[in-house]
Amino acid sequence: MLIIIGQSLISGILMGGIYALVSIGLTLIFGVMNVVNFAHGEFLMIAMYITFWVFHYFQIDPYVSLLIVTPALFLIGVVTQRYLIQHLIQAEHYTQIFATVGLSTIMANAALFFWKADYRMVKTAYGTSTLNFSDLVVSYPRLISFLVAIGITVLLFLFLKRTYLGRAIRATAQDITGAKLMGVNINRVYIFTFGLGSACVGVAGALLMPIYYAFPTVGLHFVLTAFVVVVLGGMGNITGALFGGLVIGVVEAFSGFFIAPELKEAVYFVIFVLVLLVKPSGLFGLTKG
Amino acid sequence: MKFLKGNYFLGFLILLALLVAVVQNAFVLHLLIMVFTSVALGLAWNVIGGYGGQLSLGHAAFYGIGAYTSTLLSIHLGVTPWLGMIAGGILAVMASLVLGIPCFRLRGTYFTLATIAFAEVLRILVVFFKDFTGGSIGIVLKFNAGFLNMMFKNREPFAYIALGFMALTYYLSVYIENSRLGYYLTALKENEDGARALGINTYRCKLIALMISAFLTALIGSFFAQYLTFIEPESEFSLGLSIALTLPVMIGGIGTALGPVIGAFIITPLQELLRVYISGEHQGLQNIVYGIVLVVVVICIPQGIYKWVTGTIFRKKTS
Repeated sequence: MLIIIGQSLISGILMGGIYALVSIGLTLIFGVMNVVNFAHGEFLMIAMYITFWVFHYFQIDPYVSLLIVTPALFLIGVVTQRYLIQHLIQAEHYTQIFATVGLSTIMANAALFFWKADYRMVKTAYGTSTLNFSDLVVSYPRLISFLVAIGITVLLFLFLKRTYLGRAIRATAQDITGAKLMGVNINRVYIFTFGLGSACVGVAGALLMPIYYAFPTVGLHFVLTAFVVVVLGGMGNITGALFGGLVIGVVEAFSGFFIAPELKEAVYFVIFVLVLLVKPSGLFGLTKG
Repeated sequence: MKFLKGNYFLGFLILLALLVAVVQNAFVLHLLIMVFTSVALGLAWNVIGGYGGQLSLGHAAFYGIGAYTSTLLSIHLGVTPWLGMIAGGILAVMASLVLGIPCFRLRGTYFTLATIAFAEVLRILVVFFKDFTGGSIGIVLKFNAGFLNMMFKNREPFAYIALGFMALTYYLSVYIENSRLGYYLTALKENEDGARALGINTYRCKLIALMISAFLTALIGSFFAQYLTFIEPESEFSLGLSIALTLPVMIGGIGTALGPVIGAFIITPLQELLRVYISGEHQGLQNIVYGIVLVVVVICIPQGIYKWVTGTIFRKKTS
């Protein structure tokens, strides 16, 4: 029994790292410009496909392709912000939601159109290798994904705290007028933030590829999870998203084992609604990070 | 555009009914059925999403409840879908309370996220309780023509029923628009705190609007189950459906009664034609098209075609 609990805890935390990374991108964008990117999951899907095709044609290892996928997703984010969201920053609330919903529909179906509904997978030498600690088994690629995810989060955190651009982003999130008065170019901050948030999901996509399949609607599962995580951690709160991701990973692993694997999503959606009701600002304190 | 309102709309409905009577072509009838139901679904969503400004992306939940309730009642207990439809509507109203009572304390995007989660949980539950619901494989309804079974050998009766839904939702929308509830909803959409300060019980208004919306959506869900004779959780409860049913509203004009009518008459035939002529070998293409339409409309004419057209005509008159 203890082993089962330990095993669930390990696999939950490892998966939680990926959830955290996807969610951090979403929460960063929300925190700064108050826009929920409903196409965030499709960005992840694109990242996974890029990783897959780069591997398929050039045999580039998914972890190496991080260097290609991350900038590519940054660019996709920049273009989305510059040519879509920028027009809607001042617009009514529903236009922002439906613009990104429309974008997500286009992207998911474009993937279906060009790449078919097949499940694509990257087969690596280390894909199924494990580390064993007495009775506990740790999947090697999952461990790497987790460590990279945590590393990226720390880097992002340092970036936001220490650099000029990071401070400008936080200033914009806190008070637009104030930031403007201090000479921050708001539009540039928006574009950069959207790129940064999308780059996070690019990293997550590349890290997911050795352990998961790519298919046109893969984004949906992850974005729904990310919504839960983001609400759990507090919208716009990056540290909150990190812990929220880990919590949801663990909850998923435990409910998959103790309740029913098919119901694990239902369990964390119930948690989601409960958190929304009891503490809409999230479990982890402040609303903005 | 005032000429389309009131009695003129009745004339429009009669014209459509005559069209149904005259047309023999099965595909055209199918097209009409799809347009009428899109209007009805759009208007049903519009009650809470448009007038109330509470953007639900979980309306597939109510649609699915309607489809599953009437179907399961008819299979297990032999209840006629006409009654099953009402039962589905009532169940959807109860579900809307389960969603609304806790979640209407949330505002804006938070509410939207909660509605998505709500529909997802229902989908997961329907897949899980497969002994009762047929699970992810879905249920094929046995075709047995007859008025009581709400199944017909040709499509004409279906078209009349669908037209009936369109009429019902339209007149209900016009009624709501000019009722106390309608004014309250407009007020709370514009400024919820302001509306509350004026003594409006915004929480109750939103709940009532959601209940109406859920009931109507479930009716059409039941109807569609009878028409297509097949239901499955992946499509009845999907986010894709929740998005699709808002499309006529976004195109025609959110928060108006005529908007969704105009929107559906434009986008639904396009969708159906694309489905028939291209999607066979090119999966996904028709959905790409409607995604593009959605984005373009939201950016270029966010107020929708109806208000955009009336706005330009009005401007010309004054100048």
